[in-house]
Amino acid sequence: MSKVFEIRSLRKEYGGLPALELSELDVMQGELLSLVGRNGSGKSTLLRMLAFLEEPSFGTLKYFGGADPRREVTLLLQNPYLLRCSVFENVTLGLRLRGDRADLSARYAEAMKAAGFACPEAMASRFSSQLSGGERQRISLASRIIMKPRVLLLDEPTAHVDAASELMILDTVRACLEQDTTVVCATHDRQLFAGFPSVREVELKRV
Amino acid sequence: MGYFYDGILKAADMLLNMDAATFSAIEATLASTACALLCAMTFGLPLGFLIGYTDFPGKKLARLVSDTLLAFPTVLIGLLVYIFITYRGPLGHLGLLFTLPGMVIGQTILALPIIVSWTAQAVENLDPRCRQTLLTLGASPWQTALHTMREVRYDLAMVCVTAFGRVVTEVGVAMMLGGNVRYHTRTMTTAISLETSKGEFAQGIAMGIVLLGIAFIVNAALTWLRHRGRA
Repeated sequence: MSKVFEIRSLRKEYGGLPALELSELDVMQGELLSLVGRNGSGKSTLLRMLAFLEEPSFGTLKYFGGADPRREVTLLLQNPYLLRCSVFENVTLGLRLRGDRADLSARYAEAMKAAGFACPEAMASRFSSQLSGGERQRISLASRIIMKPRVLLLDEPTAHVDAASELMILDTVRACLEQDTTVVCATHDRQLFAGFPSVREVELKRV
Repeated sequence: MGYFYDGILKAADMLLNMDAATFSAIEATLASTACALLCAMTFGLPLGFLIGYTDFPGKKLARLVSDTLLAFPTVLIGLLVYIFITYRGPLGHLGLLFTLPGMVIGQTILALPIIVSWTAQAVENLDPRCRQTLLTLGASPWQTALHTMREVRYDLAMVCVTAFGRVVTEVGVAMMLGGNVRYHTRTMTTAISLETSKGEFAQGIAMGIVLLGIAFIVNAALTWLRHRGRA
């Protein structure tokens, strides 16, 4: 397995106050990494840095990949945001941002089915205001996996969804791993990936 | 109240018979308002977006200035522009005083702070997760800005409607810079003011009906747009 991220002596501060300290962590291609820890231990902060939304205050975070890492790594926020447009436009936005407009309808249907929607066509013209919390979460997930990312970062993906949606999200994660996607997931639930063949757990401590 | 009912009847007659003076004022109003709004939007939307979207030294001061200018009295705008475009003023040679373009300058200055300030406010009020979501979907800085603007499109439409309402109903600038010249720069509001001072309510009421009608149409169009977009 090749290395995707290399973290050394990482420290993140906000206004001089430490939010995260991590001495060493390597993330490997195709693995499932579960970040656990109490509230305020820096799980979301680490994910945001891995998604290149924030820079470390100290230390190094290296990504081993292509020239445009933000198009290879994607993050699903804990409370995802859907744009004020249709489900179809939301799910295909990442592809359209890349100028990739080939076969959008088929790829939309494929991603939506992978996220647990039996009838993607029925959802296509609906708006975010017409969706339940679980649907919003899975649509946001579909908008990430349609891009076939190299690294999928998930921040508490099952925190606000019912049991059925949780199972569908876990099925989607399983399918991503089968395609050699690296998945890094922040969670409070140590049993979340109990049924998965291989999962590496990293516990973050409050600084 | 007899004046009022007589006025309404005469107003209806003027509108139905396409009274030349009335329709000239309507035309002047719509022409100057449309031009002023277009100019204010051209400069105000990008400027307001920049102030709301980016962080730069002096941002708070820029917001403070644009917010303060929201309360700029129309007659003061009229006075300041008048000083510049009067025949003895620095721009006097352009012959803008008592013309529609002269009015448009003043009305643009009137609309600009509304558009700048409220556009900045709309962008600042947008959920910060929107930008994060766009970035995590791989958007470039330019694409992120463009989609952020798209995300506040209904708020921006409301900003423009508000600016339209401010310009179309103002009297000070139109009176001072337009001069209320019949068949030329007389607008609906200056006509209402003049006719009321003469005790002639009919044309004033006719103009009032048209103004309310325009406000209704513009707001109905905006409501329809919002419904279409399910914002």
